[in-house]
Amino acid sequence: MRYAWILAGKDLLQTVRDKLSFIFILVMPLAFTLFFGLLFGGGSDRLPLAVNDADGGAAAKQLVAALQDSSVVKVTLEGASDAERAVDDDKAAAALLIPKAYSADVEAGRAARLTIVATEGSSGAATVASEVRSVAGEQVAVELAARAAAEAVRSTGSASHISSEGAVEESAARARPVAAQVLAQPAATVDVVEAGTAAGQVPSGFVLSSPGMLVNFIMFSLITAGVALILERGNGTLQRLMTTRVRRWELIGGKAAGMFILTFAQQILLLGVGQLFFGVDYLRDPAALFLMMVSLSLVASTLGLLLAAVLKSEQALIATSVIVSMAVSALSGAWFPLEITGPAFQFVGHLLPTAWILDGLRGIVVRGFDVADVLPALGVAVVWSAAFFVLAVWRFRLSD
Amino acid sequence: MTKIIAIAWKDLRSTARNVPALVMMLLAPLALAALLGFAFGGGGGFDIAATKVTVANEDEGSPSSIVTAGCVVAGILESPDLKDVLEVTRKSSAEAARTAVDDGKAAVAVIIPADFSAVVYGGGTTARTQVELYENPTQEVGGSIVEGVVGQALLEFNGARAAAAGAVALSGGDREAALAAAKAAEQFTRSGGVTAGLQISQRPPQLPGDKSAQDISITGSILAGMMVFFMFFGAANVARTILDEDRAGTLPRLFTTPTSYGAILGGKFTSVFVTVTIQAVVLLVAGRLIFGIEWGRMDAVVLLTLVAAGVSSGLALLVISLTRTPAQAGAIGAGVYLVLALAGGNFTGTAQAGGAFGIVQKFTPNGWLLQGWDTTMRGGGSGDIRWQLLVPLGFAVAFFFFAVLRIRRRFA
Amino acid sequence: MSIVEVKELRKQYDPPKGVLAVDGVSFDIAEGEIFSLLGPNGAGKSTTISMLSCLLKPTDGDAMIAGNSIVHQSLAVKETIGVVPQDIALYPDMSARENLLFWGRMYGLSGDALKKRVDEVLELVMLVDRQKDRVEKFSGGMKRRVNIGVALLHKPRVLYLDEPTVGIDPQSRRSILDGILALRDQGMTILYTTHYMAEAQELSDRIAIVDHGKMIANGTHEELVKIVGEEARVEARVDRDLAGVAERWREVEGVVKVDREEDDVVLLARDPNEVLPRLFESAAAAGVRITEINVTEPNLEMVFLHLTGRALRD
Repeated sequence: MRYAWILAGKDLLQTVRDKLSFIFILVMPLAFTLFFGLLFGGGSDRLPLAVNDADGGAAAKQLVAALQDSSVVKVTLEGASDAERAVDDDKAAAALLIPKAYSADVEAGRAARLTIVATEGSSGAATVASEVRSVAGEQVAVELAARAAAEAVRSTGSASHISSEGAVEESAARARPVAAQVLAQPAATVDVVEAGTAAGQVPSGFVLSSPGMLVNFIMFSLITAGVALILERGNGTLQRLMTTRVRRWELIGGKAAGMFILTFAQQILLLGVGQLFFGVDYLRDPAALFLMMVSLSLVASTLGLLLAAVLKSEQALIATSVIVSMAVSALSGAWFPLEITGPAFQFVGHLLPTAWILDGLRGIVVRGFDVADVLPALGVAVVWSAAFFVLAVWRFRLSD
Repeated sequence: MTKIIAIAWKDLRSTARNVPALVMMLLAPLALAALLGFAFGGGGGFDIAATKVTVANEDEGSPSSIVTAGCVVAGILESPDLKDVLEVTRKSSAEAARTAVDDGKAAVAVIIPADFSAVVYGGGTTARTQVELYENPTQEVGGSIVEGVVGQALLEFNGARAAAAGAVALSGGDREAALAAAKAAEQFTRSGGVTAGLQISQRPPQLPGDKSAQDISITGSILAGMMVFFMFFGAANVARTILDEDRAGTLPRLFTTPTSYGAILGGKFTSVFVTVTIQAVVLLVAGRLIFGIEWGRMDAVVLLTLVAAGVSSGLALLVISLTRTPAQAGAIGAGVYLVLALAGGNFTGTAQAGGAFGIVQKFTPNGWLLQGWDTTMRGGGSGDIRWQLLVPLGFAVAFFFFAVLRIRRRFA
Repeated sequence: MSIVEVKELRKQYDPPKGVLAVDGVSFDIAEGEIFSLLGPNGAGKSTTISMLSCLLKPTDGDAMIAGNSIVHQSLAVKETIGVVPQDIALYPDMSARENLLFWGRMYGLSGDALKKRVDEVLELVMLVDRQKDRVEKFSGGMKRRVNIGVALLHKPRVLYLDEPTVGIDPQSRRSILDGILALRDQGMTILYTTHYMAEAQELSDRIAIVDHGKMIANGTHEELVKIVGEEARVEARVDRDLAGVAERWREVEGVVKVDREEDDVVLLARDPNEVLPRLFESAAAAGVRITEINVTEPNLEMVFLHLTGRALRD
């Protein structure tokens, strides 16, 4: 057992001595995290919305004004083709085209049409569309309500002076402000409560994506760990170690321990930055966090070991590591939330330990998970890691 | 010139025999594109899994209506139109519903309070009620969808109330007012409400001069991103042979032949560029044959491919010019490419429009290239992607310039 | 007529305080001659060859190869030289033939002329049968032969061989040495570096001994050996009376010097063939048996030892 630690120590020393690689392992994910955090950490921006008002009528102007007051979108007024281009060039999350007949339709109580221009699949577009629907819907509702009031009054005969169409129009006009007032202070509203967070706090984009980036980077560090091992195999020192009293599993265990410590250190750095600079509350439950960190390092180090054990050249290792880490990251929900994928994909994703670990990390930060909540993830990680380790010991080749 | 070609040809042949390199360059992007395409439901649009919603209807009803408003809202959520988007279950109490969300069994709990009908159908003007949406904050998309649906439903109720209030204001006398109010509300609802009164359609941007605005296939978008990313690696593999050969002695040996220094390095650079261009062509063809991706107009496709090859080559050469050993180059290069890819949206697509991400993307050559691919796949021509070609080209030139400087100094 | 003229070559890595690998080396090589640089590891042999191959820029000095300066006319120099590096510098994933074709192109050959020359070289290095096999599958000796073959493609006037026989089996070594002699017989000029005295002795027309970057001796084998004199060294062990025997042998004709080293008597003698019988006689007369006797003719090892105080094989 002792030898394993000695070996781990030697490996870490070698890693640290290769200054360029060492700096890179630490600096780059750090720089990236900082960079992204600075951009996203400050809470959500208003999404840019390009509006083209081809109508210019009262209803259209009102709609534009209401959107300009919105806290969700930031309106810029454009010509029609400019608006399309803005979306195409990603300068606007979406564009709203108000056609010529809009105001007339709204005021006449007919079906009013609007066109939203957006790239499919853009989550920004979905948010904008939702806001437009909400704002425009309210406006239209006012008109319809006023009109319905006028019609109803005419048909029940409760106001005898209303008998003609023109009078209906006039009545609707009188009913409008009342309807508007009721709708401005509606009886029924939606109260959105985020589970687990302090009341009223909405996690920012960075908070949600930080754990995903962490998993991504740690998986990528499979490469550095594995390359060193393969080089050692190449220069014969590995084989030589086996002529000493070190046993095979100790040798491999030592290698894994070295990788574990390295990835753990990386995690501390990345999580530290997230916590201190960007308010990602990882330390909400330190015990649960620790378990997740251990899980992630276990998985990464044993998987890296397995790859290095089995593959022949640096090139093969890098190729495989890149592909594996990318596939795993994608399947685990590190790049995009699994909720936007199909059920089959989510199922496959949750076979992987990293998906569980990610859920655990996000849960800690946003939903106040504690140790009990992350135990399943730990369990899955341990099982997978054990499997990787056993396979690695079995298949480990000591020489080329 | 022939010497440059001889060197490039030798490297190309070597790459063709190098299985790990081929896997990385060709198999990986295709496999990952297939995987991610599968994630998003295939070639068509974004098919997301239905959001799990749990509804706790505590509404006690109101004397003025047989059907409770709460049932109406629940009914809307459970309507067959939303079957693909929402998977609705019922819970008997608000607590049970919230627990379901806490336990991860549902993304959103819709909790309709006991006084819902009373307020919504009631005559009072000051009573208020709230439908609580208890959401799992890590599932943003589902949450927004439910907010939208419930919000729409509530708007209809509020609209009906507004109509009633309007009618009351218009009519004289209490009895007529009440009648009129009820009639107005009914009229509002019967005419279809806001849902009928407002029709919003959504479509992708149409570029001027285009007859059809094609929706890009998701797989196409993903494969473009993967292609550019793995071109970085393809270039890196060949560029790394400069370091490998330096170690193995064949590069110094080349320097003892009467082949000029420029020819030797030029040969190497050409190797990298040609290899990565061929890689791109293979992927484009494979994308067309296997996934049926329409890449777009030939002039734009050719230019984008060449510029991407230039960027990958330049970047790969720059990385090896800054590192000492092949192992370092491999590890550091991989890290650099990952960061660029994350920042440039290679993995997440250009769908993240606007805002901070858009700014970050502009700092990466691959981000611009991806935008170019986006436009091209939607039918644009080379004229439409001028900046998406020029900016990455600028990056490529800069990379080459610094790479050449450093490599010359090292091997002088 | 000297085809190679080396004048005060110096190489200092990272001046002004860095290692001085080559410190003022000068020598000439006549056309058609085999010239060896003999010296221990680290003496500066490879650095000298690197400079003469135009791989390294000299810190000072110059050399003319077939009239071209290595400093100012490196491309012309490269046309006339063939370099066989110490380590195998071939593409392992390519066949012997593919390697030769590629390197031939780098030397400016092309088309049919190239193909023909490659065939010739394959014959020369006796690898015609294995020409389509990948070099990575070759034995060490075979790899070395291809390594040499590459340098011969463009029919250079001067061939540099940098320790070509390190770490290979005796058979392959023999065939390489024979090959080199054959090339010399065909008129090639050869610059050969080695730390094996026997090779230098066998192959070379002239030898330069280098140590710590300096040339400490230069000449034919005979000329060099004369530095340590013409006496052979005789080491003998006897069964008794070592001191007495030593004294008696001092008087034997032809013996120049007698010493005692531990259990041995070491003496220098002018002509071992004549002296040995006398030694035996003398010992027999004293009733002493010689149990072991070793004769070492003057050689370069001794020259090196004499000049530097260290063994060549340190």
